[in-house]
Amino acid sequence: MQRRKIDLGYAASLLLSIALAFLIGALILAVSGHAPLNAYTEMVKGSLSNARHIGDTLEYAMVLCICGLACAVGSRAGIFNVGGEGQLLLGAVVAAQVGVAMEGSPKIVVIVCAALAAMAMGGAYAFVPGVLKVKLKVNEVITTIMLNTVAIYICQYLAKGPWRNSNPNIIAGTENLAQGYWLARPIAGSKLSSAIFASAVIAFLVWYIMQKTSVGYEMRLTGQNPRFARFAGLKTDTIVILAMLVSGAMCGAVGMFRVYGAEHIFKSSISNEYYFDGMMVAMITQYNPAGIILMSLFFAFLKIGAAGMEANAGVPNQIYLILQTVIIFFMAAQRGIAASVRAAAAKRTAQKEARARLAEGGARNG
Amino acid sequence: MQETVVKFEHISMEFPGVLANDDVSLDIRRGEVFALVGENGAGKSTLMKILYGINEPTGGTLTVRGERVERFSPKDAIARGIGMVHQHFMLVPSFTVAQNIVLSREPRKFGVLFDDRAAVSEAQRLAREYALTVDPTAVVREISVGLQQRVEILKTLYRGADILILDEPTAVLTPQETDELFAVIRRIVREKNMTVIIITHKLYEVMAISDRVGVMRQGRLIGVEETKNVNERMLASMMVGREVLLGRLDRAGEAGEVRLAVEKLNVCDDRGLTAVRDLSLTVRAGEVLGIAAIEGNGQSELLEAVTGMRGAQSGRVLLGGADVTGSSPGARRARGLSHIPEDRIATGVSTAASVSDNLLVGRHRERRFNILGLHQKTKAVRDYTQQLYDEYDIRGAGVDTTVGSMSGGNMQKVVVAREFSLDANVLIISQPTRGVDVGAMEFIHSHIIKKRNEGCAILLASADLDEVFRLSDRIITMYEGEITGEFAADAITKEEIGYYMTGSGREEAQYAKAQN
Repeated sequence: MQRRKIDLGYAASLLLSIALAFLIGALILAVSGHAPLNAYTEMVKGSLSNARHIGDTLEYAMVLCICGLACAVGSRAGIFNVGGEGQLLLGAVVAAQVGVAMEGSPKIVVIVCAALAAMAMGGAYAFVPGVLKVKLKVNEVITTIMLNTVAIYICQYLAKGPWRNSNPNIIAGTENLAQGYWLARPIAGSKLSSAIFASAVIAFLVWYIMQKTSVGYEMRLTGQNPRFARFAGLKTDTIVILAMLVSGAMCGAVGMFRVYGAEHIFKSSISNEYYFDGMMVAMITQYNPAGIILMSLFFAFLKIGAAGMEANAGVPNQIYLILQTVIIFFMAAQRGIAASVRAAAAKRTAQKEARARLAEGGARNG
Repeated sequence: MQETVVKFEHISMEFPGVLANDDVSLDIRRGEVFALVGENGAGKSTLMKILYGINEPTGGTLTVRGERVERFSPKDAIARGIGMVHQHFMLVPSFTVAQNIVLSREPRKFGVLFDDRAAVSEAQRLAREYALTVDPTAVVREISVGLQQRVEILKTLYRGADILILDEPTAVLTPQETDELFAVIRRIVREKNMTVIIITHKLYEVMAISDRVGVMRQGRLIGVEETKNVNERMLASMMVGREVLLGRLDRAGEAGEVRLAVEKLNVCDDRGLTAVRDLSLTVRAGEVLGIAAIEGNGQSELLEAVTGMRGAQSGRVLLGGADVTGSSPGARRARGLSHIPEDRIATGVSTAASVSDNLLVGRHRERRFNILGLHQKTKAVRDYTQQLYDEYDIRGAGVDTTVGSMSGGNMQKVVVAREFSLDANVLIISQPTRGVDVGAMEFIHSHIIKKRNEGCAILLASADLDEVFRLSDRIITMYEGEITGEFAADAITKEEIGYYMTGSGREEAQYAKAQN
């Protein structure tokens, strides 16, 4: 019960920060000579006015959501996966090449193989920092960040070298995926694909595993207090590595979705630091699965809407970045402010009680 | 009669949920070395932090040099000539000795530039004046811990301190460095008429350096004595005794076969120094072996090595005859070991998890709590944990609240409930009732004896001598990582135990060892 109360308070402060961010955004718009109301209207139109826009918003929300959940899986078990970007890219490039290499096989076989290959690749790439952390106590934040860079260059090398597209106009990209392997698109003209259903299943599974299974329970305990978990007899090393594997596999799956659902080729637009956006969503919502889903939708609305705002109200795309930054800023500040208010209140009560007791004692003695 | 420089009157310090100082009244006199002793958590550091202006007391008054002080900050404390050397040094590692000494009152050139040469000569002057030899141009990172401590002392002297507070100054020092530090303390007290307050829990140091000694226990000042009128044994019993005198509990049955054996075990502490030395012991089914030792004599490291939380350098640990020396805590638990750890918050619970989650762990893989090892059965878990919650009389807002929101006593009951419900045949228990009220203590004690009577082999360590006496069948005393004596609990007095706890029996023990 108490837990729910905290969540409500958090949701309220989140909404307040969003409102404040929009206010500050309006100020910036007004100062830079744009009518705020008009710009915001165009933003809403840009992301929600028709099926195509809604589709694009959902596609981006899906990417954010699975990336955010991947980050949350690691963090719940006490390991911070900052390397999702690399895991996503490698998953994407491997999935794309599976589609090229297996051309001629039935669609279902190719899709399944590509998904498995992408997940295995992402998982394997996350396994390395996981093992390094557990066995050698190497800080996973550093290793995962470094491995991101490595992955970016591996992918570039593959897309420019051995797996290069035969069309000389495409400088860095794999061969185009045969149309027969494209994921179905429920909305014409939008990048949204049937991958959203797979994503929904993944999201549900993650929530279910974390909240309702024995493995999820062990992960939670390990993340909360690893010393206690080890003391209680849990195999904390295995649990941390497992969490990292799952996190990496999810990122790899996102890479596959991007190739087969949206781009139909591996090129640099597969991910524009999407994992970091997802990670931010996860951190803002304190790794709460339901919160990640909602916040992903909101951030996708902001980002896709920003394109509409730019096209129709002439507001530079950067305003979206400002809004996003201000929201994050408020969320970070909110935690600090709330904590200091609580601490001050606790101190006041303690002092009051002590004084009351002293007064009482004095009265008795006197 | 020397003049009083610091006067604590009815000082209380309350942190949320903890009364760290309870009505403490104490005078400190000019030109004396005053030792403040007590177990960890007795309130020594809290009291000294009040004097140094870090803590603002929630009650009582503090008078420094006849002047009542309120809303005191470390800056005010320094202005009144009070200096404190913390347990963890507050030095800038990349700065030189001289730069560290003058920090916050740097000599300036033209009012703005740091005058390095003046800093060095100032540091040299101080070092000469107080005979504290240091190289002012050495970088702090590169000098020994003992020298770093000198720099800390010089820093306070540079700021004009003549009341010096040293918080566990010898914890990080080698015996030689300790001797040097004590020589420095004696010199500055004798020649400069300074006042030194030293916080420690090593009793021989109290005897070696102090003029007067104050003993603290559970936030209260138990007594203040002239050091020449007391001995280590008296101090030890003042430190660990409790007001309530407890009788031994009824026990039934005889000790059975050996369940736990430790053979020639060597264990290092966190700093890599040997904490347990060639130690051997056995515990039989249906007996409680109590360890009596002043804190920091290797008992914590020994218990951690037995449970698998800490590796052993050499030697063996045997559970029911099987060698488990290299096994994980989980593997040892699978062999029937349970463990109530010394520090419940760091090790015994997950404060962020619910009471239910904390009570379940260890049994959560059992079939009655899940389907196919996957899906956790919420209701079965809830019923089980609720039953433990009631059985162990845990008082809080239910099994769904987080453990972190509970009081220390109830948190300890959560640990006890879980560990005692695991059907263990070997129990390792450390500080079972630290910070727990008398009612909860009675409850935990009766459960320990119940386990013993059911045939559990129990190894118990406690800083509370009364507790060791009340629960143990056999008692061993430890001093500096070695066993100094072994006794039947009903055939020895507390005074005799105190003698062995302070290492005095060691020579005899070594003699006996050599004879065997």
